Amino acid sequence: MLNDTGTEEIVSGDVITHRVGMNVASKFPQSPRIRRLAQRSRELAISGKRRLGSAEMPLGDHACWIHIGPFPELDQLPSRANRYEATGESWGRDYAFLVDHFPIDLHEDERIVGEIHWEMHMVRQYVWPEEVLAVGRRAHALGASGVSSGHTCPDLAIGLSQGWGGILERIKQSREKYLRLDNRPKASYLHGLQMICESVIRFIQRHAEKALELAQAATDPWQKRTYERVADCCAHIALNAPRTYYEGVQWIHFAVLLDRVVGHGNGYGRLDLYLIDLYRKSKAAGELPDEEAREYLSEMFLKLRGHFFCLGGRDAELKDATNEMSFVVLEAYDLIGDYNNLGVMWHPDINREFYDYACDVLARHGESIPVLVNYDLMREAQMRSGIPEEDAWKVAYSGCQWFCIPGKEFCDQDVNSIDLLEPMKRTIAAGIAQGTDDFESFYAIFEQELTTTARALCAWKNAQYERLGDLWPEMFTSMNSHGPIEHGIDMVGPRGVDYQYTSVNILGIPNVADSFHAIRRLVFEEHRYTLADVKAATETNWQGREPMRQRFLNQDKFGNDLDDVDALLTRITETLSDVLGSMVNLRGQPFRASLFHFQGHLNPAAIGATPDGRLADQYLAHGINPQVGRNNTGLLATANSIAKIDQRKFQGGTMQVELQPKFFDGKDDIWTYVRGFSETFFRKGGIQINLNIMDLNTLRDAMDHPEKPEYQNIIVRVTGYASRFICLSREYQQEFVGRVNYEGF
Amino acid sequence: MAELKVRVIEIIRGTTHDGPGVRTTLFLKGCPLRCAWCQNPEGLNSEPEVWWESRRCIRCLACLDACPTNALTDGHAGLLRDRRTCTRCGACVAACPSRAMSFNSRDWPIEALVKEALKDRDYYQTFGGGVTVSGGEPLNQVNGVVELFRRLHEAGVHTALDTCGLAPASAFAAVLPHTDHVLFDIKLLDSGLHQTHTGQPNGTILGSLSLVADHIRNVASGMKLWIRTPLIPGVTATRENIHAIGLFIRNDLSDVVERWEFCTFNSACRSKYEKMGRLWSYADKPPMRQGEVEAVREAALSAGIDAGIVVVSGLTMT
Repeated sequence: MLNDTGTEEIVSGDVITHRVGMNVASKFPQSPRIRRLAQRSRELAISGKRRLGSAEMPLGDHACWIHIGPFPELDQLPSRANRYEATGESWGRDYAFLVDHFPIDLHEDERIVGEIHWEMHMVRQYVWPEEVLAVGRRAHALGASGVSSGHTCPDLAIGLSQGWGGILERIKQSREKYLRLDNRPKASYLHGLQMICESVIRFIQRHAEKALELAQAATDPWQKRTYERVADCCAHIALNAPRTYYEGVQWIHFAVLLDRVVGHGNGYGRLDLYLIDLYRKSKAAGELPDEEAREYLSEMFLKLRGHFFCLGGRDAELKDATNEMSFVVLEAYDLIGDYNNLGVMWHPDINREFYDYACDVLARHGESIPVLVNYDLMREAQMRSGIPEEDAWKVAYSGCQWFCIPGKEFCDQDVNSIDLLEPMKRTIAAGIAQGTDDFESFYAIFEQELTTTARALCAWKNAQYERLGDLWPEMFTSMNSHGPIEHGIDMVGPRGVDYQYTSVNILGIPNVADSFHAIRRLVFEEHRYTLADVKAATETNWQGREPMRQRFLNQDKFGNDLDDVDALLTRITETLSDVLGSMVNLRGQPFRASLFHFQGHLNPAAIGATPDGRLADQYLAHGINPQVGRNNTGLLATANSIAKIDQRKFQGGTMQVELQPKFFDGKDDIWTYVRGFSETFFRKGGIQINLNIMDLNTLRDAMDHPEKPEYQNIIVRVTGYASRFICLSREYQQEFVGRVNYEGF
Repeated sequence: MAELKVRVIEIIRGTTHDGPGVRTTLFLKGCPLRCAWCQNPEGLNSEPEVWWESRRCIRCLACLDACPTNALTDGHAGLLRDRRTCTRCGACVAACPSRAMSFNSRDWPIEALVKEALKDRDYYQTFGGGVTVSGGEPLNQVNGVVELFRRLHEAGVHTALDTCGLAPASAFAAVLPHTDHVLFDIKLLDSGLHQTHTGQPNGTILGSLSLVADHIRNVASGMKLWIRTPLIPGVTATRENIHAIGLFIRNDLSDVVERWEFCTFNSACRSKYEKMGRLWSYADKPPMRQGEVEAVREAALSAGIDAGIVVVSGLTMT
């Protein structure tokens, strides 16, 4: 029988084991209740009900929504039943209709409730007019792409302090103002926001009603009391700001859940700062045992899946912002050992005990949670873009490799990209045509070609930005942002929020650096081959030219701490920063390069062979990490190579590490290795570490035998996000197990 | 005077077994011993050698064309090199597009070697590590090691010497003032067996060990000494040998030895023998079983060795 906190019958020293990774021992025992909730979550993942991507190409099991079939009232959706309009008002009406038709799911054992089953992308059309698409096709032909969709971060502190009722009141006032002033477009947008906000309130109220019904029918006293508490909580937070820590977590759960209805990769900000006041209040009132504080968050993590929250960092005075909640959040993950996307923002003054615990959690579980990021560099990167100091400190690690000022920034993170191999190919062709015979002239052509691609991207993004606020506004996120309600402009619209730089992921930087280095040596210095040879060889996948390929392959490569080739890579990144930084979007703000690409490297066939000796069917380098198999001087050498890049000029660039568990055999205090490595890397200029501690050889077996119990809970950080290994597509699995598996430093 | 160079077979960064903390280990070429189980056969000969890696070779045979003395032939099992006619001129190495044909050592100017060794200096500081020279027998190139250590000390970097002990007293006298840590091999205490299995008696080696011990006692009390014994089944890993070494450490060295490490045998280096075109009698020997290693540990403890100083490293089977 469970007691009131549901923590009776604890099996002490619960050990989760799997052969592939570390032998994980959670610091905290799981209550039977949490164990059942975790089991349900696992079943949803393994049965494909959490699948992101298609059945043919699953990207993982980190979807927030749970598949239960198509939306039954699709035909009645206002934009389908009546008339589609590209306006915020029409968008908001659809959103409200969808949420009003969500079933209310309450499950036994749950104290944090609410789930969703459909996203706006599935029901409402998002189609660009032909004249915009034509601009996109031109960009695509030059190696640039990207359709805007979310990938920003709200400031949940707004709703936590005002409640949905407070937000609704502000929307109504603003709408009345613009009606009075006869600004119909703004009033129409605000009407859309009002419909959304009211549907949110109804959704939460419906949970309260359902919980009351279930409480009346429940016979088990603990379950009955739990339903009553859920009912009480939801009845209050539907309109009001949360009063307790429990209500705060439930409030955040609904806010993230209903944000995910839009269906995109938003981050959600600094969870320890959001919750600290409520935590202290509930603690002071003596109503919050430690295990309860952990379990609420564990439940939320199990239900929300694809969320990014972060911890640590600094406060407005640039003092360490770590607080008691920072620990509780990590403990909540430690308790379940299931994936999520927590990030710990390190800086030299961070609370030692907290950072030690973060490294301990990461080492023990070995599943790249938390991600470790360098707060000071992120803050400086924001300031370098022009964000004033009074906002820059608020920076939050918000997604794969990116960071943003919650509620004040829409930078189109992670959706835009430049395939750097395209301008490289054109550079080689132009070099042949112009008879280029020295590397500097060759590089000058590359700068021009990159500029051509960047301009095409700029035109494509601006064509989207002209209409984005009407076609696909981020209305839910805008409710918890600074500006949209008062301005009557969506956060994606012109200056809807203060910061609207356009972020651009770059594919293949290490491949281009390695290629250029080989060309510099073999074409321009040794004159062993011509550019025409290089073009012919790569276009025919090196057919009949194996000795030539070997020569290109066996030049020095990025990632070995070799100054020559590393300097070339760094030069390319600087060129990217200069070229993109000189382009201005419709909001008057520059483009920013991000040294990362979340999946482009998995599609090598579209790119063909490259002059670094890579064959057409080999995966490209992942983000800024060396091409697999080319860094053979160890982890520290690779870390040094990556640390040579001036990360203040970019929107992130992750170092991905797969370390073999046996490295830690016979070693005490294994977390000290994680701490020592990460802190040294950060002090040298690194910005992010994703660390999986896995035996990739053993993991190969999981590809063919996903049914084995030991593989059910293997979590890996794939690129920017974490997922269950067996829920990934074969391509992703193949790429993952093919990575360099470091045996040590 | 010619620029001082150090002949290095390999540089491994981020090591955690060759002394304290995280280190860079430099393996130097040339060794006076000929242990049958040698894990670094490319470190034996002090002259540069060409070796051939079949995994990398694309059989383009550019090396055959390039060889001025026709020392290479394309045999069934791969490329064969006639050691008598090969002049080690390196023409085949230069001609090889895939680095299959390569020199198994590189002569590093001291300046460049110091620069290389300092690349992970920040990590040495974090983890209390530094630079270890190993081999081969590093003291075969004592002038280079002394200069290297001197410069590393100038840069504030911790230095460790991994030695088999077979070097003149003058070499130890030169290097010890610049050394923070010594890893000293004792393979077999019986000199006759030592001669049989390594090609040399152990008198000089034990003499060197006393020099190191006296240096710690009289000059450098902060210097650390770790004894290392490779566990070779049937040779060094016998109860008699381990017990004897144990008694020796307890009686003569317990005041200066901080650790006694058993390095279990593995045959992972067999590909190096293949690359060198040499047969190796240990190629198919399996890793030791945990039970065997346990017996060795017990033999050590039975000699009165403090369990706290015994460490086992390397691969074992259950």
